Amino acid sequence: MSAEHHHEHDLPFWRKYVFSVDHKVIGVQYTVTGLLFLFFGFCLMMIMRWQLAYPLEAIPVIGTWLSQSMVDADGVLIGDGYNALGAMHGTIMVFLGVVPLAVGGFGNFVLPLQVGAPDMAFPKLNMASYWVYLVGGIVMLIGFFVPGGAANSGWTSYTPLANIATTGQTVWLFGMVLLITSSLLGSVNFIVTTVQLRAKGLSFFRLPFFVWAQFVTSFLLLLAFPPLEAAGVLQLMDRLADTSFFMPTGLVVSGELQESIYSGGGSPLLWQHLFWFLAHPEVYVLILPAMGILGEVIACNTRKPLWGYKSLVYSAIFLGFMSFIVWAHHMFMTGMGTTLSTFFQATTMIISVPSVIILTCFIISLWNASIRYNTPMLFALAFLPMFAIGGLTGLPLGLTASDIHLHDTYYVIGHFHYVVAPGTIFALFAGVYHWFPKVTGRKMSEFMGKLHFWPSFVFINAVFMPMFFVGMAGVLRRQFDQTEQLQGAVVHGLTIMSSWGAWGLGLAQIPFIINFFWSIRKGEKVGDNPWEATTLEWAAPSPPPHGNFETVPVVHCGPYEYSVPEKKTDYCPQNVVMEA
Amino acid sequence: MSDVAIPHDMEPHPLTGMYNGKFGIWLFLASEVMLFGALFSTYVLLRVGAPEGTWPMYGQEITTGNQILNVSLAFVNTLVLITSSVTMVLSWAALKMNNFAKGRMFLFITFALAGVFLVIKFFEYKGKFTHHQVVLKEPLGVDGEKVITSKTDKGERKIAVVNGHAENFGTWEEDGYLLIHSDPTESHDHSHELKIEADKIKRATRWGPNASTFLATYFTLTGLHGIHVIGGMVVILYFVLTGASDWKKRPEKYINRIECTGLYWHFVDLVWIFLFPVLYLL
Amino acid sequence: MLAESTYGAWFPPMLSEHGGEIDHLISVVHWFMLALFVGWGIFFVYCLVRFRQRGGHKAVYNPVKGKISKYVEIAVGVFEAFLLVGLSMPVWDWYKNEPPDAGADRCEIRVVGEQFQWNFHYPGPDGKFGRTDAALIDTATNPLGIDWENEDAKDDVFSQEMHLPVGKDIYVRITSKDVIHSFAIPTMRVKQDSIPGMEIPVWFKVKKDATTAKLKESMTQTYPIDKIKWRRIRHHVAVEDYQDRSGQVVLAKGAPLGNNLEQGEKLINTLRESGHTELVLQPANPLEVICAQLCGNNHYTMKAQLITHEPADFDAWVQEMIEDRTAGSEMFEDF
Repeated sequence: MSAEHHHEHDLPFWRKYVFSVDHKVIGVQYTVTGLLFLFFGFCLMMIMRWQLAYPLEAIPVIGTWLSQSMVDADGVLIGDGYNALGAMHGTIMVFLGVVPLAVGGFGNFVLPLQVGAPDMAFPKLNMASYWVYLVGGIVMLIGFFVPGGAANSGWTSYTPLANIATTGQTVWLFGMVLLITSSLLGSVNFIVTTVQLRAKGLSFFRLPFFVWAQFVTSFLLLLAFPPLEAAGVLQLMDRLADTSFFMPTGLVVSGELQESIYSGGGSPLLWQHLFWFLAHPEVYVLILPAMGILGEVIACNTRKPLWGYKSLVYSAIFLGFMSFIVWAHHMFMTGMGTTLSTFFQATTMIISVPSVIILTCFIISLWNASIRYNTPMLFALAFLPMFAIGGLTGLPLGLTASDIHLHDTYYVIGHFHYVVAPGTIFALFAGVYHWFPKVTGRKMSEFMGKLHFWPSFVFINAVFMPMFFVGMAGVLRRQFDQTEQLQGAVVHGLTIMSSWGAWGLGLAQIPFIINFFWSIRKGEKVGDNPWEATTLEWAAPSPPPHGNFETVPVVHCGPYEYSVPEKKTDYCPQNVVMEA
Repeated sequence: MSDVAIPHDMEPHPLTGMYNGKFGIWLFLASEVMLFGALFSTYVLLRVGAPEGTWPMYGQEITTGNQILNVSLAFVNTLVLITSSVTMVLSWAALKMNNFAKGRMFLFITFALAGVFLVIKFFEYKGKFTHHQVVLKEPLGVDGEKVITSKTDKGERKIAVVNGHAENFGTWEEDGYLLIHSDPTESHDHSHELKIEADKIKRATRWGPNASTFLATYFTLTGLHGIHVIGGMVVILYFVLTGASDWKKRPEKYINRIECTGLYWHFVDLVWIFLFPVLYLL
Repeated sequence: MLAESTYGAWFPPMLSEHGGEIDHLISVVHWFMLALFVGWGIFFVYCLVRFRQRGGHKAVYNPVKGKISKYVEIAVGVFEAFLLVGLSMPVWDWYKNEPPDAGADRCEIRVVGEQFQWNFHYPGPDGKFGRTDAALIDTATNPLGIDWENEDAKDDVFSQEMHLPVGKDIYVRITSKDVIHSFAIPTMRVKQDSIPGMEIPVWFKVKKDATTAKLKESMTQTYPIDKIKWRRIRHHVAVEDYQDRSGQVVLAKGAPLGNNLEQGEKLINTLRESGHTELVLQPANPLEVICAQLCGNNHYTMKAQLITHEPADFDAWVQEMIEDRTAGSEMFEDF
């Protein structure tokens, strides 16, 4: 069955670039939107870090521009404003930035190409999922403009606090319902495409690791998100219809008995269970696509197959499965008894094993390699020790006894940021540099890439490494003014260091932004396969036309046939039978 | 629209035995199982954790859902929905046998039956919203000292909660009192007319979602289910109206779409088959 | 023990009987983490250097064989199992399942969190908590709605500071009035969510020589004046009077260095210009109860002073509080 191009050039601009059903256009839309939200979420954090470093001092330049729900008349942040920044930073980075970029952006663009398909299984559904995401994102931003400001009960929205919070929380809930719907539509597409649209000869164990990672991720999105959607509906009912799903009997808020409004009988912990049932798999949604990208970049730039491909695949599947049964390790301090907590500690220890295997496989892949130090590879390599730090610091948190001291301290913030920031986001940068030539037909500047990488690497460690020490000292998270707490005052120097690191990190992104836009027009022009890679997307033109492949590919070998002995070139594309 | 030809759009894939749309619908239904599963889990958790005498409603001798909900109406609805699932299959079968007119007719009947379901549901909900509950600050007899007796001769007792039909529900706060035809649990007897002073009232609500966690769960579960019914109806109506032109162009694709809709519809039916005993009978 | 009791960038002072095991677990885990990281790291850096792309060097297609990674993986798994079963579970089991026996030897306290303060309710010498009633709640004067007329409440104590005897079992019943808070005392290695609708107990024992008075002494430090940053010592007070050049006392013994950044920096400048080269300071109160779960816009201010006493002094404090309250109410009765 050959691809049909005949109507493509008849399409008006709107149908070709805006309401397109082409997975590549949708992938670019997700990528650009995701990067914008990532940038916005980052800016929110830079404001927060000012307050942390210089408590109660007016925010420079923009302080007086912010709304009265966030700052006082002099441009000094207020408690509600800080909490809103915190809640929205988390929400935007996770749900509007990283996941749309990692899954919607990279997944959409690369996956159909890597399986040799002309598009996703359901192109129209694909388009719908992008637009629902965009609307959801806009709804989230509207929260900043309603009376009382944006949601400020943490990205975790624990009840009853979130139940009695201002209007922004309702807006957040509606936004979440839209975002979850978008994810569900997308995940159906990914799974069907991976199973049903693979090219001839592309068996499951010849799939690139990137595809496996996206495949497992899609199952997580499909099955883990609905309970949060249900929980969101319940919280909306509590807020709008005065139900008591999460409101226990006998609440007294600001001296007022709540019994005239609520029937009581609800459970605050119910929200936590439903929320974390999603939110734990969600963190694997954050890391798996990144590991997938890493697989591609490392194999290509070591010029040899990934070590332990089968272990990688089985570990990814096992990780996905296990991620559904560890959620209550976020709830150890809620009065949990020994039976339940033993179960969750055990599953948490067990889930560290596949993560360790994946990391180890990647590191061993460097042995006997021929490592090319281009920008994507620098980011990919940096991921490895950073993810190691993030993963290892999860250990004392996953054991209840040590969690007594570390729960809700800055140690936790250090832990998860190491995994997501110099972890996932670095992998996403690697992916951008790696696939930019496929999308645009031009390479990004190597010089600017390195100018982006090295300061980012230094500054990101400057932000997050101090947090382990601050947390170990007992300093709590989500504190508008850390120096109110005696320990927070004493170690305030480390907090200041984190803040300057964050601002430096912000500056370090400027080369990336310039490089990104400049290279679209002025980057070095390249052909189909500038990196000399083996996977199927490099067999299509750069950029691929509507329908992707001129002739439908047939696959003859595994995904990483690099440096095969006694062959002419040091790489064997999957769709080519190589001569000796 | 410039469509590329997608493999296995119509022909089944050797590994799964399904065409893309069918596989997609099954996946979607898996996520719906998780959605309703979470709500059923919520029901279980709230019911198991409810303190003595608060489930399904506060302070009453009401102990099961069927004392609050209208079981007979819901039973009729169950039959209606099951029948609609049957007509859905009949529609698909007729189309497979190349009988478009019959197929479309059964599709329309399915749509109509779903409409009947919603109408009955409307009356069910209406019944709830015209019932009221008053929770008193402390147990009382009526008019202060007199203790009320129920018609079933339970002996003299004090009550903390009154259920029934309130005459002045909208204005009780201004009126300074609430007039309610009470509704002792065992017999739907509205013979007791009670006048309760406003300052004795902790809370006065309709039998709506805010009356108790049971009712909250009931409305949320059946409401979400109802939204899914409406969604299905929209899709079915669309296929009824656009069927003729689709059937001419690509009959096989039309049949597949009806099959997928049918799968969704059976799921909606199945959820109700779980909802009914859990909420109304247990 | 008290020698290491100043706050710094690792463990805070460890002042409870069970805290040592928690710190031990944390230390062991971190050595393990370090070992893994260094192991991985050495291999990683070696590869980066040895296998970089250069002339005359090709990548090797065939996978490296060897069982080392499998053995390392198994060893890691076994060690994690040891951490869980050997070190974490015993502590957690004690923390959750072995409360001190009820009776006179156990100091029982009800703790109720609310936005944004901690409330402490002591049963007094009779060991029984007085009746509480939501209808009696007044946020300013009676946040817990204690019925002071109730028999059992006559010797109860209500406070917004937490006072504890050292060396005795403490049994704390934790709940909340409004949203989820979290009762946390880092120095005691105690943390427990305070959830409305639930009462969750937590227990610990303060080390014998960890009285507030002794802690203040041991945490007294000398700060060179040109290195002082106000924000870091904003909770500290002077140990003696400090005068300016004219002999006027600008910083009194027991006083903090101003209440905000501006005042603080001004005072430090004054002292520096008056010729002082260092200040001797101690924490105003070295122990705090803080709130570890986001509870609203003033979450960061939700803390209570924690004061530890010798048992005899603690009993005296309880007596004093009872007398103050009854004297106060008697006073009002005359009006």
